[in-house]
Amino acid sequence: MLICENYLTPVTLGEAFTAMADNRGRCRVVAGCTDTFPWAREGRAGDVDIPVLIDVSKIPELNELRIDNKLVWLGAATPIQRFLDDAKLARALPCMPRCAVWFADDQIRAQATIGGNIVNASPAADGTPCLIAHEAEVELVSARGKRKLPLADFVTGPNKTVLEDGELLVAIECDALAGYGGSFEKVGHRRSLVISLVCLAALVKLDRDGRKIEDARLSIAGIGPRPLRLPDVEKFLKGSPLNAATLEEAADMPVALVASRTRQDYRRDVVHGFMLRGLVNAARRAGADASALAPELEAAYA
Amino acid sequence: MPDLRLDATVNGRKISRAAKPHQRLLDFLRDDLNLTGNKEGCGAGECGTCSVFVDGVLMKSCLLPVAKAQGAVIESVEALASTGELSLLQKAFHKMGASQCGYCIPGMVMAATAALRANPFAGREEIKERLGGNICRCTGYQKIFDAVELARDVQNGRLPATALGEIDAEQGDFIGKNVRRIDTPSKVSGRLKYAGDMTMPGMLHVQVLRSPHAHARIVSIETSAAEAMDGVEGVITSADVPGEDGFGVFVNDQPIMARGKVRYVGEAVAAVAAADLLTAKRAAAAIKVNYEPLPAVFDADDAMRAGAPVLHDYAPDNITKHIPIRVGDVEKGFSESDLVVEESYSTQAIEHAYLEPEAGLAYVDHDDVVTIVSPSQNITHHRSMLARIIAKPISKVRFIMSPVGGGFGGKEDMIYQGMLALLAMKTRAPVRLVFTREESIISTAKRHPSRTTLRMGLMRDGRINALQMTMICDGGAYGLSTEGVMRKAAILGAGPYAIPNVRVDTYGIYTNNTPSGAFRSFGALQTQFATESHLDICAERLGLDPFEIRRINAMRDGAITHTKQTLGSVSLLRALEAAEKASGWEAGSPVSRGDKRRDLDRADIRPPVSLGARFAGVDKQEAAE
Repeated sequence: MLICENYLTPVTLGEAFTAMADNRGRCRVVAGCTDTFPWAREGRAGDVDIPVLIDVSKIPELNELRIDNKLVWLGAATPIQRFLDDAKLARALPCMPRCAVWFADDQIRAQATIGGNIVNASPAADGTPCLIAHEAEVELVSARGKRKLPLADFVTGPNKTVLEDGELLVAIECDALAGYGGSFEKVGHRRSLVISLVCLAALVKLDRDGRKIEDARLSIAGIGPRPLRLPDVEKFLKGSPLNAATLEEAADMPVALVASRTRQDYRRDVVHGFMLRGLVNAARRAGADASALAPELEAAYA
Repeated sequence: MPDLRLDATVNGRKISRAAKPHQRLLDFLRDDLNLTGNKEGCGAGECGTCSVFVDGVLMKSCLLPVAKAQGAVIESVEALASTGELSLLQKAFHKMGASQCGYCIPGMVMAATAALRANPFAGREEIKERLGGNICRCTGYQKIFDAVELARDVQNGRLPATALGEIDAEQGDFIGKNVRRIDTPSKVSGRLKYAGDMTMPGMLHVQVLRSPHAHARIVSIETSAAEAMDGVEGVITSADVPGEDGFGVFVNDQPIMARGKVRYVGEAVAAVAAADLLTAKRAAAAIKVNYEPLPAVFDADDAMRAGAPVLHDYAPDNITKHIPIRVGDVEKGFSESDLVVEESYSTQAIEHAYLEPEAGLAYVDHDDVVTIVSPSQNITHHRSMLARIIAKPISKVRFIMSPVGGGFGGKEDMIYQGMLALLAMKTRAPVRLVFTREESIISTAKRHPSRTTLRMGLMRDGRINALQMTMICDGGAYGLSTEGVMRKAAILGAGPYAIPNVRVDTYGIYTNNTPSGAFRSFGALQTQFATESHLDICAERLGLDPFEIRRINAMRDGAITHTKQTLGSVSLLRALEAAEKASGWEAGSPVSRGDKRRDLDRADIRPPVSLGARFAGVDKQEAAE
């Protein structure tokens, strides 16, 4: 059971920083709260007394959304469901709707925020690998000022980030990749409300004929303490022809990266399968030429 | 603790009320506004029984701090039939029989309402996806999806409103007919009160203190600090039991609260009644129990070995129950067989996971009758046991069975009703206990984990000559229904097959694990998993079709079972025929089929589960762009 004496809902960044400073050491910052109550239960944190909860989800900067040709600026309190409901956002971030549909369920997605998913820093967080594939940078703001750093460097391990005391994750800035095909592959014990054992985000851009890979971006989570980008595979894919041989070779490359605490053999199999399926799905959605993908490859992994 | 002032619109009415900062929206709706239609099934966002609309968006109210409802428009399930007439979806649920225990149904109706609001033309796959956050354990999802599709089609004019109407059944003709459940309107509307929904004036809230040890001697229990706390009305331990302590289904080996020692993690040690749950929790935490840990045993085989820790003095060998059955001569049967196959099979503990966690309300009435309202599956037996335990004539003990939000056998045991009775007697006030999901899992019975060794002798033509089965079950710390489960396992374990020589031994064993008890099929699941798996293996060894080996050995009308029961009619052959047909079975032995299954990809076989029905069309569009 979560017990608090005071629940504050600041409506400006200034109010939030004041509340955080006034209650230093006796407060917790929350947004969607979907992990807050389940955390304060038997078997996890148990009964917890947190004198002050500071809910930052009503602050305008955390709810902003700007999209231009190059960049998407996402307020940290953007609910996950928005990636499914907002067509313009979905086009700019082709991975995110595919990720969102596997994320918890429709109801939790309406409440859970992308910023919360990142700050929680679960090794299985679904949103993080997608955003890493979109070259995301996080904007951290405190009363002292602002700093920006790559999302890949923000998460340092399970439930660990470089967020400092008094600092808030305000926004995520990432590449707008309209025209890319996106996919998100995830495996867990059931369909809804499931934590990923492994998840993979893939983005593919093809040439005009849909036969050559112009750009590819890949990120994977659940195989080690934090999500990984796959630069070597991306480099190999860039400029390669879209065919079964290319994808098979690419699929083998990250298998050796599996460094999870458990079930490494299983995860190696999954990584190989997800690479193929993720790339096939992303390529298909990027307008792959029908003959470029061997039919058996498409049938097996689409 | 400064209260919040909450201004919101709830089910069409403006409210302005004080709320506690730590309350969840679910607590505020249920406890403060008495809107108990939406339930708490898990408290962790997993089950969806608490789903409500917040500004038109469906959310899980167990995950929402009440402060998030500030200024919002809230609709609970009560809003759907606010005029007294059921909504279209509620009528469709009624029509399709989409409610059994009913506990998940208010949340299901809300999720279905949200799905059809989001897409009035959603197909079945999309409906499934959109209802993905809601769990049902007994109605079954198919009827629920059928109901949503019916409502969708009526709403869109594809079906007439009369499609929701009653089918005329002939007077008095019920068997094989589609008869409407008369309790469905109360369930789809959230009007039905389960024990955890009930309140009484002056009611106190109960918190149980549970053992952190699997096996330990209780040296002392110090309750004075808890009793001295403001708002605490009563604290009980086993010392408060006035009569002869001990309950169970077959053997009364379990005290109301641990007496002298604890035997499993989660066993009740003391209980507190207080003005509110938070106070009760804090008081329970203030009770000091001094334990002296004892060696514990967690495996049934280990518990049967000489020198193993003993749980109960009356059973120095840790055997709760052994059921032996002997028919004919199995050794002779094996020696005369063409083939003897021996294998071992094991099954694990299974939690019932009914959507309604245990809850109960107790009071002492005006005639001094100790009254307990709870979803007990066995109130008559509980009544006689409790009378003995609290030393009252049976006329002064009353059990009222509240609607059971799923039981499956898991609510047969008097696991908490005794504590409620003692607290009602001690405080002279109504007391209510509502388990959390975690408490329900940690402290109540599970399906028996089992290890079965099966030896079967067969003739070349497939006839079974002899069967020897030994099943060892982990019964956990207390007897509960173990004896009955062992009996049923022994009676049903050899399956519906005519076997001349049978030797069955089933053992229920005490260990320091969570007690095992009644669960649907009552022991038959474990043994039949072994027998049926074994028959498939034997069919393979003999080159026989698995259906055929069962037909060869099937009991016929008039058969006498190995426990000497004459069966007037046996439907096994008909059941086999129907299963063979429905599954699209390819005749032949298990090794005769080659590496490709031909029964897949049929129109009547469901494809594997995936997500993304709402993207149908998007892919094509993306490709076109």
